[in-house]
Amino acid sequence: MTSNTGLIAGLLLLIGAFVYTFWPENSFAAQKQKTQLDYLLERKEQLYENLRDLNFEYRAGKYPEEDFEAQRASLETETAQLLSEIERLQQA
Amino acid sequence: MATFGSFALIAALALAAYNLLAGIFALRLIATGAQARISPERLADTARRAGIASFVAVSCAAFALIWSVFHNDFSIAYIVEHSNRALPAAYKFSALWSGQEGSLLLWAWLLAGYGFVLRLTHKNDVKLYAYAGTILAGIQVFFLSLLNFAAPPFSLLPGYVPGGPLPDDGNGLNPLLQYPEMVIHPPMLYLGYVGFSVPFAFALGALMMRYPGEKWIRITRVWTMVTWTFLTCGIFLGMHWAYAVLGWGGYWGWDPVENASFMPWLAATAFLHSVMMQEKRGMMKSWNVWLIFVTFMLTIVGTLLTRAGLVSSVHAFAQSSIGTWFYVFLGLVLLVCLFTFILQKDHLKSDHQLESLVSRESSFLFNNLVLLLGCFVILLGTFWPIVSEYVWDRKETVSGPYYSAVAIPIGLFLLFLTGVGPLLPWRSASLKAIRRNFVIPVIALWGTVIVALVAGVRPWKDGEFQAGTFYALIAFALAAAVLTAIVSEFLRGAGVIAKQTGKNLFAALVLLTRRNTRRYGGYLIHIGLVIAIIGFAGAAFNRNVEQEMGLHSKIHLGPYDLECIGFSQDSNANYNSEFALLDVTSNGKPVKVLTTSGFTNLQMTPEKRVYLASQQPQTMVAIHSVPEWDLYVVYEGINPDSGQPIIKAILNPLVGWIWFGWIVIVIGSIIALVPSIIPSTVVLKVPARATVPTAALKGGD
Repeated sequence: MTSNTGLIAGLLLLIGAFVYTFWPENSFAAQKQKTQLDYLLERKEQLYENLRDLNFEYRAGKYPEEDFEAQRASLETETAQLLSEIERLQQA
Repeated sequence: MATFGSFALIAALALAAYNLLAGIFALRLIATGAQARISPERLADTARRAGIASFVAVSCAAFALIWSVFHNDFSIAYIVEHSNRALPAAYKFSALWSGQEGSLLLWAWLLAGYGFVLRLTHKNDVKLYAYAGTILAGIQVFFLSLLNFAAPPFSLLPGYVPGGPLPDDGNGLNPLLQYPEMVIHPPMLYLGYVGFSVPFAFALGALMMRYPGEKWIRITRVWTMVTWTFLTCGIFLGMHWAYAVLGWGGYWGWDPVENASFMPWLAATAFLHSVMMQEKRGMMKSWNVWLIFVTFMLTIVGTLLTRAGLVSSVHAFAQSSIGTWFYVFLGLVLLVCLFTFILQKDHLKSDHQLESLVSRESSFLFNNLVLLLGCFVILLGTFWPIVSEYVWDRKETVSGPYYSAVAIPIGLFLLFLTGVGPLLPWRSASLKAIRRNFVIPVIALWGTVIVALVAGVRPWKDGEFQAGTFYALIAFALAAAVLTAIVSEFLRGAGVIAKQTGKNLFAALVLLTRRNTRRYGGYLIHIGLVIAIIGFAGAAFNRNVEQEMGLHSKIHLGPYDLECIGFSQDSNANYNSEFALLDVTSNGKPVKVLTTSGFTNLQMTPEKRVYLASQQPQTMVAIHSVPEWDLYVVYEGINPDSGQPIIKAILNPLVGWIWFGWIVIVIGSIIALVPSIIPSTVVLKVPARATVPTAALKGGD
């Protein structure tokens, strides 16, 4: 490839990149602002997963009964509080 | 092609710069809600598209360089320096990363490639991806500026005019790189190095925009896992290359550039563990952000080490002026990270506190501290020549003994934590739970100690303490305990599934893994690591013999006898070689190996090559590998006094376990990256029994 051919190929690349970058398009992705409610719904999924893990590990024999009860109570309380907050925000 | 390549690099720089500036402007408009003549979302989209176009432009530049290598375009100085006509086609690709300019181009290309994937998948979370894409563009601008102004790969030969005379041939590729693994080791390592830019961009972007919730950390974790896997492959391939090519019988020499790849690996490993605490319990948010920042900065330090000739290394290129560029960039990155962290610190408050020192969380915390301690120790050793010169005006280097003294105990403690972590429950563990979960691994540990002592692995020999054997004994015992712990985790889980579904144990194991790929893939990675550590421990029992070998003379090593049955020479367009032909017997019987023509008697042919273009010699080691050990034979050259070849044979116990462990790590990593089966859920309403920290409900500011 000679210098001139290289230069022409380079210019074509530049034009192609320019056209692609600034091509007028009406639809482009935009995102709505995340709310406190969105965050709490994400957190809820995580707490459910933590509860599932706890139950599974208990059934697998990793937790003595009293440890399991204490941990489950603590997680359920946290989840309940979260759910009531979600409910409050959904009703507001 | 030189013109096209240069043009493509300038275009790529312009596009990346537009991505950076338009991205910053658009995100600023979105953040402040200020009005402008163009919609900020539209502007951000043009920035994203410029980033995609910059990938095409850098790909064109990389293609131009590869095309020039394949067409022996000796008008380009880089091609003359790093290729020659007789170079086999596969190694012509290696020319891309054999020199400074080419490897920087590879950096820029892979970075643009990662950016391309990131920008194409922006709909996952438009705003976060816009931040990450803009930060990535900033890194691209740095590397593309280097390529355009400091280390241009398409520079013409000094004094060359179009149509003028050209050299008949190039200087050839470094012989060390003319080995099959070298075609994939550097790209793998670079994929790992460069890839850490993406988690860095997400972490910094999420902090800048005060990302609500923890979704960003899940995205970051997946990218980190992918990158970590590439870096792991790169490191292991490098070890195997060093083992098979350098001819000293080892696989890790604590060379500064080896260390440079290991340090970000340690920091990223710490992140992959502590990220679980943030996801599960909203803890260690600042710590995680800094782990990602440090990992990225360590990759830049690693590149600085290689490129700037900062410390002497078998890998480092000659001292060059681009070191200053890296210092400035590193300083700038640190400043941006510090400034953003100080500004947004209140966004990183933990939702929960550590409840007990005996819990899964605390084991992760210890694991992190030990990994970072290891990282610091290696960093200190690597930079010791610079530190000592600055403080005492005397350049001192540290080598194997320093690293063995500090890295082995740290590694063993990490191995211990690998076993302890999965056995401890989240939040806190009662004494009863500890007793229940630890009894079998402890039995395995002491059982292994007893068996090893009986088998002759004793740290005292003739009244002298053998540190190597002592560490090996601890490693074997801990490995047994950790393996038992992990296997029991699999079996316990599979037992529950088998009970629930009526499936057999194997099917239950498969379903268990599919239900939580991240956890059980992670356990497989731990198994792989333990297997590799067993292999490392084998180094304590290495034996070797070196002697001149006449025709039919023998070497005896372990169960093997090596008989020299001849010497030969060979040559082709690329190199001349001489090698020995050795018949191998084990305990007096021929060793059988499977070849394409069935089982045949093993004949080893250690070789020495001299590459014609560069006139550099290269050893080609002969290795016979079985699970117990590797028989490793090196042709050292001819004794000029006697005219007889010198052969060195080494018996390396358990080396094959290292490579097998690596395969298990890769399989585990792939499994961990596959999404788990999503379980069905039911709504359960229970009354709140106590208050929880309100911090747990915050985070969406």
